Amino acid sequence: MIGYKKTIIGSAILLFLLVASILYPAYGPADFNKNVMITDEQGKVIGKAPFPPSLEHPFGTDRNGQDMHLLFLYGAKFTLITAFGVALLRVLFGGMLGLFMSIWAPSLKNVFKDFFMTMRYIPSIFLGLALMWPVIGAVEGVPISSVVSFQIIMLVFIGIPTVTIFSSDVTEQLLSQSFVQSSYLMGASKFHILRKQLMPYIRSYGILLLVQQLLSTLQLIMHLGIFGVFLGGQTAGGIVGYDEPPKPASLSNEWAGLIGQNLFDFNRAPWTIFVPILGFFIVIFIVNSIKKELEENMQGELQWVKSRKKKETAPKDGRMTVKGEFELINKEQSRGYL
Amino acid sequence: MKQVLKLPVRLVLMIMGFVIMMNLYILFFGKKLLNLNLEPFWNSLLTDVQFLLHFKESTNLGIFQGLNLVDGYRYSMSILILCLLVVIIAGLLLAFCVMMAPRKIRNSIKKLINIFEGIPDLLVIFLFMFFVITLYQKTGLKFLQLYGVFGNRPYFVPTVTISFLPTLLFVQFLIKILEEEENQIYVLFGKAKGVGRIKLLFGYLVPNTLPLVILQLRTSIWIILSNIYLIEFMFNIPGFTKAFEFLLFRGGNIAALALCLLLFTLPLLLFEALGYFVSKRIAGKEKFTI
Repeated sequence: MIGYKKTIIGSAILLFLLVASILYPAYGPADFNKNVMITDEQGKVIGKAPFPPSLEHPFGTDRNGQDMHLLFLYGAKFTLITAFGVALLRVLFGGMLGLFMSIWAPSLKNVFKDFFMTMRYIPSIFLGLALMWPVIGAVEGVPISSVVSFQIIMLVFIGIPTVTIFSSDVTEQLLSQSFVQSSYLMGASKFHILRKQLMPYIRSYGILLLVQQLLSTLQLIMHLGIFGVFLGGQTAGGIVGYDEPPKPASLSNEWAGLIGQNLFDFNRAPWTIFVPILGFFIVIFIVNSIKKELEENMQGELQWVKSRKKKETAPKDGRMTVKGEFELINKEQSRGYL
Repeated sequence: MKQVLKLPVRLVLMIMGFVIMMNLYILFFGKKLLNLNLEPFWNSLLTDVQFLLHFKESTNLGIFQGLNLVDGYRYSMSILILCLLVVIIAGLLLAFCVMMAPRKIRNSIKKLINIFEGIPDLLVIFLFMFFVITLYQKTGLKFLQLYGVFGNRPYFVPTVTISFLPTLLFVQFLIKILEEEENQIYVLFGKAKGVGRIKLLFGYLVPNTLPLVILQLRTSIWIILSNIYLIEFMFNIPGFTKAFEFLLFRGGNIAALALCLLLFTLPLLLFEALGYFVSKRIAGKEKFTI
């Protein structure tokens, strides 16, 4: 069963969310309908933010009276782009490193493994905090672009060892396959093997790795948000006069930042947390089902190849013994292996 | 013999990796778009190596004194052990129930678990928090303690919240490997000889999958550890992770940090060793290297 229904629908939904979020400045109010108090005709205060979900505010508002659904839409692009970009960079760098290591320098692998040994035992949230927390107080006066680039470098780095070791393992497994071995024996160069034999696998494994890393990046970003490490840095937030010192707020309003900045309002306004977290849940759910489908497809493909191979090796009496009429059965498919 | 000779080299490599990793933020953080602060990075590396070389000196670990580390460690580890027990017991019970059930029910349960798998752990934590708070607001019952105010250390809510997702993952994993094992030929043979389903499950399937189960428990511990950190931070519970926070903010040194991380990930290392010995003993179900 090879089909890409879930993948297509899932990525369409994500793409739609992304486009809606990028186009937000074109249609949405810049202040997210900020409205701290409601007054009636006489000017008497009848309500104060945060407002619960209602017809007027479908997802409620946060403490500053900003509409949650608008914030949610606005912040989606930062979360999605960062997660996807980080996952892509991880797979690109880590995958290439792994490939290079197993093909050209197999002895380097053990050194690499030992060097990053400690990363295997430290949960990634600890690592993320150890790398990003010490400087989060020092962001003042530093341009946003360099904060963002710093955070992205760190996020990419955290995933690199896992990806590298995984891709190196996969490559080694592929290199020990008989079709690669026979290609070696026939005098193929390493580059030729990489181009001809490994490339088809690299593509499908790469996509699978990308989806896996997307999941782990989303998870990590979400956890970092709880600790106040927001993508794009912090700004002083909260309502002036209520909080001393002012609570940190997210500068970019991405989802993890929304969770983190509303953390202490949970008792009063649980919807401010549940909206972004449900957003994460939906995205993770979609990515997860894409991953499942891809995995199933890959397994199906492998089994398909295996059963095909069995058929080929089965002796077809009559044909093989006739001299002079030798012809490759399944000429087209056998070309793929050699 | 060769392995033993290599050991010091590997150890040095590991420590080097750790030190460089922990200083990486100095290398890349700065006012430009892409920074490479080689000089401060190098200086910081040198100081850290100095710290590690004089590990034993008392000034090094003196910062721990005001922290009440022992109580915090005891609390965090007891949460970990409680969670692990819940994961193992509940996971095994649930998995056996599912395995005993008829195939139709089994498949629908599997689908249900697959949906739950994607839930972020934070959502579970917040849902439990919401539940406890509304329970208190509606009924005034306060038997479920949430926050760690005045040095309180709640046990029930953290254990339930943390062990919820790992249990589900464990059940999912158990069902998967038990079903794979069920397709083996010896099971068919056993069935043909008239061995009962229960005898087959507990006498053959479970012992044969034990090494894989231990490997999976390592993943569970990993998840539990990071969730303990989250919970202790969110509910302001004075556990062991407070020391970690303290070290990062009030300028701890790398020796103290390394000790802290080592203590915190000790259960993980123990399980890794356990997995190594079990898989070595049962010989080669899963090839295993440290």
